[in-house]
Amino acid sequence: MKRSLSFLLFFALSTTACVGEPGDGSGVGLQDAFCGPAMARVDSFMATFAGQEPVGERYGGTVVLGSLGDVSGMGPGDAISVEAAQHQQFLNFMTLIEFDENLEPAPYLATSWEISEDQTELTFHLRGDVYWHDGERTTAQDVAFTYLTVINPESEYANPGYFQAYLPGEEGVEVVDPLTVKFHFNPHADILETWRNLSILPHHLLGDVPTAELARHPFGGVCPVGNGPFRFSSRSPGDSWTWEANPAFPEALGGRPYLDRYVYRVIPSHTTLMAELLAGGVDVYIQMLPNHAVMAREEPSLRVPTFPYPSIFFVAWNSRVPELADARVRRALTLGINRPQLIEGIQRGEAILLNSGIPPVHWAYDPTLEDSLRYDPDQARTLLDTAGWVDRDGDGFRENGDGAPLQIDLVYNQNQERQQVAEVMRVQLQDIGVDLRPRVLERMTYSGVITSVEREFDGALVTFETGFRIDDRDLFHSEVRDGFYAFSGTVDPELDRYLDTLQLIPDWEEALPVWQAYQLRLLEVQPYTYLYSALRRNGVNRRLQGVAMDTRGDLASIRHWWTDPQSRRTP
Amino acid sequence: MLSFALRRMLAAVPLILGVATLVFIALSLVPGDPALIYLRPGVSPEVLERIRETMGLDDPLGIRYGKWLWAFLHGDFGYSHFYQMPVRARVLAALPNTLLLASGALFLSFLIGVLVGVLQAVKRGSLLDSVLSGVTLFFYSIPSFWLALMLILIFSLGIWGGPFSFPVSGSTSPGAALLSPWDQLTDRLHHLVLPTLTLTLILTGGVARYVRTSMLEVIQQDYIRTARAKGLPESKVILKHGLRNGLIPVVTLFGVYFPFLLSGAVLIEVVFAWPGMGRLMLEAIHSRDYPVVLAGTFLFGVMVVLGNLLADLLYGVVDPRIRERRG
Amino acid sequence: MGSRVRFVLPGLPHLFRGRVLEGGVALFLWLGLLALSGLRMDRVLQAPSGDIGDWVALLTLLGVLAGVWIWSAKDEVGGGGGAPGGSVGSRGVSVEGWRVFRKDPMAMAGLGIVLAFYLAMLLAPFLAPFEPEARGAFEVGGDMALRLAAPSSTHLMGTDQYSQDVLSRILYGARISLTVGLLAVGLSLTIGVFLGAIAGYLGGRIDTSIMRFVDMVMAFPRLVLLLAIVALFQPSILVIVLALAFTQWPFTTRMVRGEILALKGREFSEAAHALGFSRRRILFMHLLPNAMGPVIVVATLGIGNIILLEAGLSFLGLGVRASTPSWGFMLFEGWDYMMDAWWVAAFPGLAIVLVVLAFNLVGDGLRDALDPRQREGRSQ
Repeated sequence: MKRSLSFLLFFALSTTACVGEPGDGSGVGLQDAFCGPAMARVDSFMATFAGQEPVGERYGGTVVLGSLGDVSGMGPGDAISVEAAQHQQFLNFMTLIEFDENLEPAPYLATSWEISEDQTELTFHLRGDVYWHDGERTTAQDVAFTYLTVINPESEYANPGYFQAYLPGEEGVEVVDPLTVKFHFNPHADILETWRNLSILPHHLLGDVPTAELARHPFGGVCPVGNGPFRFSSRSPGDSWTWEANPAFPEALGGRPYLDRYVYRVIPSHTTLMAELLAGGVDVYIQMLPNHAVMAREEPSLRVPTFPYPSIFFVAWNSRVPELADARVRRALTLGINRPQLIEGIQRGEAILLNSGIPPVHWAYDPTLEDSLRYDPDQARTLLDTAGWVDRDGDGFRENGDGAPLQIDLVYNQNQERQQVAEVMRVQLQDIGVDLRPRVLERMTYSGVITSVEREFDGALVTFETGFRIDDRDLFHSEVRDGFYAFSGTVDPELDRYLDTLQLIPDWEEALPVWQAYQLRLLEVQPYTYLYSALRRNGVNRRLQGVAMDTRGDLASIRHWWTDPQSRRTP
Repeated sequence: MLSFALRRMLAAVPLILGVATLVFIALSLVPGDPALIYLRPGVSPEVLERIRETMGLDDPLGIRYGKWLWAFLHGDFGYSHFYQMPVRARVLAALPNTLLLASGALFLSFLIGVLVGVLQAVKRGSLLDSVLSGVTLFFYSIPSFWLALMLILIFSLGIWGGPFSFPVSGSTSPGAALLSPWDQLTDRLHHLVLPTLTLTLILTGGVARYVRTSMLEVIQQDYIRTARAKGLPESKVILKHGLRNGLIPVVTLFGVYFPFLLSGAVLIEVVFAWPGMGRLMLEAIHSRDYPVVLAGTFLFGVMVVLGNLLADLLYGVVDPRIRERRG
Repeated sequence: MGSRVRFVLPGLPHLFRGRVLEGGVALFLWLGLLALSGLRMDRVLQAPSGDIGDWVALLTLLGVLAGVWIWSAKDEVGGGGGAPGGSVGSRGVSVEGWRVFRKDPMAMAGLGIVLAFYLAMLLAPFLAPFEPEARGAFEVGGDMALRLAAPSSTHLMGTDQYSQDVLSRILYGARISLTVGLLAVGLSLTIGVFLGAIAGYLGGRIDTSIMRFVDMVMAFPRLVLLLAIVALFQPSILVIVLALAFTQWPFTTRMVRGEILALKGREFSEAAHALGFSRRRILFMHLLPNAMGPVIVVATLGIGNIILLEAGLSFLGLGVRASTPSWGFMLFEGWDYMMDAWWVAAFPGLAIVLVVLAFNLVGDGLRDALDPRQREGRSQ
């Protein structure tokens, strides 16, 4: 009897422990304390617009967008993911400026701006009619707060490097008046680019939160109150995010968006995504597979906006490895890979051949380089012969003077495109006597292998979404040879010079020749074999109109999207 | 009986903790850093270092384990870096979806399975038996994700002129929150049909065959012959005398399938984009979201223990010999 | 019909005697293999200089041809009735069981399919119309149109995204899928039977501790284990076999233990005990053979289950990655094309369904045939 009682007691205790007060790590309490009132204020502000719905046949409807991965969150630390960044800058929040169709900076949160003569000051004048979704006005204070937050590494904002030319700390920003903010920095390149994709955060909500806690704050994942054309409505983690139209969005910028609602759905399989697109379950299928794009183009109810995108796909050669230390070998590899065949076979011709790390949409892209390093297996063979790699034992593969075979271990993470590219490259390089050994790694293992100091690979297939601000310093500069992104381990003083100079020249015209010289030098050194920049193909249901998808992003025109009233989705 | 149950559960605690510890160690051995989820030039290494620090990844293994265990025992499952929310909230979001799908499928598959199995045993050797055998075996032999896609093609896209039009994936329609409660319920059921159908078809095959075997063994026993010889009608013979004993092994099967309620049918969840525990675990493992993986493992272990316990208890209910022995 | 002629064509005399099934199969098999050799004579002649797979194929071909011929001749000589003398005792179980099995059409169909697949797997170098790794489209001067070609008269099951022939890949892929199945089941069976028998028979503390261990293994989430393995090691066949066997043996253990427990209470067991046989003798010579029936059934079904598991793992990207793909891996690669080039994944999927179904039919048939109680019932 006694034993049973004590067992019972112990059991009861452990049960309460499991259900009891959470420790500080889980943050459930904070979530309620913060998000509850915040969302309540949003709801009451939004309610004041009830009954004022604009009239017009374009207004109304829900749009569903499907994609493979989840949007991680709306906090500054989440902007590291392109999906999350797009939803932040185009839907939930506003950025100071945006790009128009010609990729020229256009006013958005800022009505105008000036850069001082000596290129050390940037002043933004803000709109006065922008309100946070809970009714507070957006002011210069918010901008300054956002800046100070993201330059602090504790916020886990991914690109503090964008601000490295800015004066340190509070010296870098000055709130002149509630609608004017001024930044101070040393002259550098792409001054405005940063402000195109940095979402402004609400100071009145997050000002009291220590920056170190911001990364785990429920604001990012549970209640992101913004000021963009759409306001956050709900989230089902791993499943979907829902936004609703913001009726308070400034009239001058288009006012309340046409769509009532935007839903982002996570669908982890391309096949299911295609099925949903065909069935009408989703209206937009982001980044279709090449064969699905072909299918979609044949469907009368769908169309496939296809556009160049700032991403590059390349093979990173680890020149620390003896086989790849010789630039001639690397050059031979580039000449021996039939890149047009890759583009034709794997991307169905919908990709642009690359010879440098600058995507074709970038202003510094040098089109004269397109024809360089054309597929030439004969020249490749000659180069390899000259470099001392000859097939000495007749097995079809080359060896060097010591008999070591030209075997290259190529790693990649599992993905339809990469697998096919690796396999085809293997066949192509076999033709010139190189033994390429593709090795597939699980995603995180792959990331670990290519960024670790040991660099236990010879070659790696890498895709980068470069955006519009290219800074290859982390990739090629000799000073960061042991850094994360120094896959190639390049040591080249000329490249170093270009890399150091390029970031300091604000004027495009002045910078262009340097960019060209840089790209030429890259061709000579061949740290990577650049493959191509694939076009982006999205599947869009024709009932969705006003969709302009281009290099700026899939969601760049979201506030202008509208649905055909006849085939509108309800609710 | 109660003390038996409690004793078993308490004995299970070290078991589950042991499994969780093993998983912890396994995860720490696996290469790959959760801080490397997204990799792009311009992402400064300091930030990644900072993330690792926050996640406590720089601490030695022993300390990390200790911290985790301490928090865990206090009910604090930690924070999911990948989903930007507390692990408990994340798991609680996925759990009902899995329970919904799995319990529906388990219930239906056992119901249908028992019926079919008994029917097969009674009508042994007939054409019906052969046909049912063929059908159940067929569904038992299909990969689940395969069947899932087939059902989508037939019932959602109507590829072969199917009359129905069920949703392809997901657990609710977008904007379902705005519907009336009744419509919301119908919407949920509508989305539930295909995934549940897939899972049920697959599970039923196994259950039916198991029941058939068990019932056949029972039918051949002497006491059944005696009952027949006594002149009782066949149905009463089977149902009253045979069924009770025949179902004993089925009870074990239920205990085996029980943890399924939690691990979810990963493959089906992936194809149907069903936001359940299976997918959660898969994604968490892929992104090295350790707290979520550990929480999931813990829950899975609990379900296994509960399942075994349930099976043993039911065994005692159905088989009086065991009940006596147990005291 | 001259008696000499009968020896030339196997199966023919059986047909004349009315034993259609055996005669038909033998004749068909023999003629089919001869035709195959004829059509692929060049490949057959090349075989001795090829790799081990070619040797196996050649030996299988010659072996089956010879074997069928010898069997037919012996049968003829032996009186045509073909009734193998049965002996009573535990050996009689298998003979008697085979008789019952033969009468079950579903089970025989299953067995036929299984044997056909194994034969096809062994003869793959001769049967396959193309090399499984021929990347025609991507070779120098290759034709891109060869990729993802729909099934046609040249490529009966179409081509995949590398322009490889799907049919050939299925034939070669059978090696991995069927081998993994057999090995994993064999391993898990060995462990499971051993542990389950001990646990069931000895009972007490040994039983409890073994079952606790079983519980622990069952409580271990498979997915975590498999991902850890895939991330740490290259998922070679050996690794996957070990991993799959590791997840399967608890079920076998429980089943064997249950059987032994049930048998322990039976009369013959008590009788043996009363006769003074040692415990080990009772266990291994009396209980286990009787428990083997369900165990064999479980084994056969287990193969099917393992093949399905392997397919599932591959679907998640965690499966075997040998140079020749398994069917599961073909499913994985072809899944993205299911909506347009459906043949790339559909045929491997069908192969899986067919093989698993066949194993399950055989398992079912075995259970019906080997169950002594059911045989008792039949003798009424």
